[in-house]
Amino acid sequence: MSQLFDFRQCITLLKSTGSTAKTLAELRDRIGTISEPSLYHHTYQYFLKGHILEYTNDFAEWAGQNLEERELAEELSNVDPYDFPDINELREELLRVMGLYLERFPEPRETRRGEEFYFNETITLVFPAGVRAKNLAEFLIAVKYVDRSCLYYHFYDSRYRLGGRVNDFSQWLADSVNKKELAERLMEIDPFVHSLEGIRERIVSAIEAEVRFDMESAGVHHEVREELKRDMIAAGGRP
Amino acid sequence: MISQYYGVAPKGDLMLLQQLCGPLRKRRFLHINSTKEGGGVAEILHRMIPMLQELGVDARWEVIKGDAVFYDMTKKVHNSLQGDEETFTKEMWDYHYEINRRNAENLDLDADAVLVHDPQPAPLIQFRKNGTWMWRCHIDVSNPRRETWDMVRKYSEKYNAAIFSVSRFAKAMRLDEFIVPPSIDPISEKNRELSAEEIQDTATRFSIPSDRPVLLQVSRFDRFKDPLGVIKAYRMAKKYNDCVLVLAGSPASDDPEGEKVLNEVRQYASDDPDIRILLLPPFSDKDINALQRMATVILQKSLKEGFGLTVSEAMWKGKPVIGGAVGGIPLQVVHGVTGFLVHSVEGAAFRIRQFLNNPEMGARMGERAREFVRNNFLITRQMRDYLSIWYALENSGRRTLEL
Repeated sequence: MSQLFDFRQCITLLKSTGSTAKTLAELRDRIGTISEPSLYHHTYQYFLKGHILEYTNDFAEWAGQNLEERELAEELSNVDPYDFPDINELREELLRVMGLYLERFPEPRETRRGEEFYFNETITLVFPAGVRAKNLAEFLIAVKYVDRSCLYYHFYDSRYRLGGRVNDFSQWLADSVNKKELAERLMEIDPFVHSLEGIRERIVSAIEAEVRFDMESAGVHHEVREELKRDMIAAGGRP
Repeated sequence: MISQYYGVAPKGDLMLLQQLCGPLRKRRFLHINSTKEGGGVAEILHRMIPMLQELGVDARWEVIKGDAVFYDMTKKVHNSLQGDEETFTKEMWDYHYEINRRNAENLDLDADAVLVHDPQPAPLIQFRKNGTWMWRCHIDVSNPRRETWDMVRKYSEKYNAAIFSVSRFAKAMRLDEFIVPPSIDPISEKNRELSAEEIQDTATRFSIPSDRPVLLQVSRFDRFKDPLGVIKAYRMAKKYNDCVLVLAGSPASDDPEGEKVLNEVRQYASDDPDIRILLLPPFSDKDINALQRMATVILQKSLKEGFGLTVSEAMWKGKPVIGGAVGGIPLQVVHGVTGFLVHSVEGAAFRIRQFLNNPEMGARMGERAREFVRNNFLITRQMRDYLSIWYALENSGRRTLEL
């Protein structure tokens, strides 16, 4: 008996920490001491913005846009928060990148007044999206139409909550509808390089291929089914 | 009333509002400010209170009463918090407190949550009976006069939380500080959809041609809005693309400089028949709406700005905006995505030419701009945030709240 997937979405309430930085050295020092929720907000939660900005976290965006330190902005952008099992390891990596840069360029300029970096953190409110799926077909339709914050909550936020590469979608697919391969394919989608809409497209495409395969192979003998699967993979329409 | 927002505001915001109104149902939510009419705060409260009531929250709105001496003093406080030099005596601050004390005697301050708007009624916290008290600061306090801020802070730090419009305005204080941007009401007269006839009516009355692109800036005639810079940019662009410039604004009765700036603008525009300087009476919301809808490109070339909500109003009409990179404008105009940020007259001229020669790009950015406002700057989001803060304060200490 499969369990329903109850889609949930989230909003964030922004809170000021009162901490600011006006130079790169100050930014580095504050990154060393800010709370985990603040570090989380400026890195992991950046993806909730939907990749409309140039860089991949708030620190890089500020260094690039406000201080015009584009090289550092690129280096910071290349730090993928999902590479680190612990947020404090991410903190260490950011400090390492900034430390190396500051060794090479020890006196970068101050930002203009009013353009300082403001350290914030958030409170997240999670609530039901009012959509439930009991099988793969319903799940597919839901993923196509749910709010972006729903995708963020189940695909991005869950990686942090659950640890590792697991996300809510993959967990449900593997545990409740016995789609372990599909679950694995969703885990292979790189959260770092796509916008939320890009993530949606890839998830939809993977599930559609699975549903198509299920339809075409329904009632077919096991060997033929495996052959069909190989053909579909060869044609690019995997499962 | 809330049903008017279905299909307009994001579904998630409306759902969260309804779900928050479960735990907050029949709870008393009191708003207090200092004016019933005029200004963005009153405008939003007029809409927000009935909607909260409809959702089941026992919402009320009280307005403090003062005399001319009080309002003269609080106007100075407002200016001083924005950085102007003003002089205050101990008697003035005592009077500020005294007026609030008298109001506290007459107001029913008994509520589960109280949201006090701006510094005028801030001392009411001294007369708190119960409930969660939040102080909402709508003013740009990024660079205040220290002594004035210290006096206001004396009161604001006694609240459970303070709410500022942007991160830059928040201070290092001993209480929770939330960031809630202001918002526009998509179904108000200023922002609702207009028929082609309504738009044409405004165009006819103001003799605005429909056969050429229209550049528009809506703002007070104030040096910080750089109306002369807008005319210069228009002239640079006009060498290459025929267009019309409309500068529309209301006279600001509290701004003696306004008349002077308006005369300078008229003189600088000289006898150019393609520059329309429109001095609109207060409450010209529908005309401003129509002007924005007929415009090809909208400018907000400010040199200094608070939040600059006229930018969101323009974006809501699906128009590409060229904005000065100051105040809250960069929070609304994402450069190259929902419009362009500029730092000079030349920058504005260049971007005008780009938009006039590339209508598809303007349409694309305008569409993204409207979606950006839908997701970030509508009244339903502001309501959602106020209720969420109240709920979060009652569940203090938790980073994630599950509803």
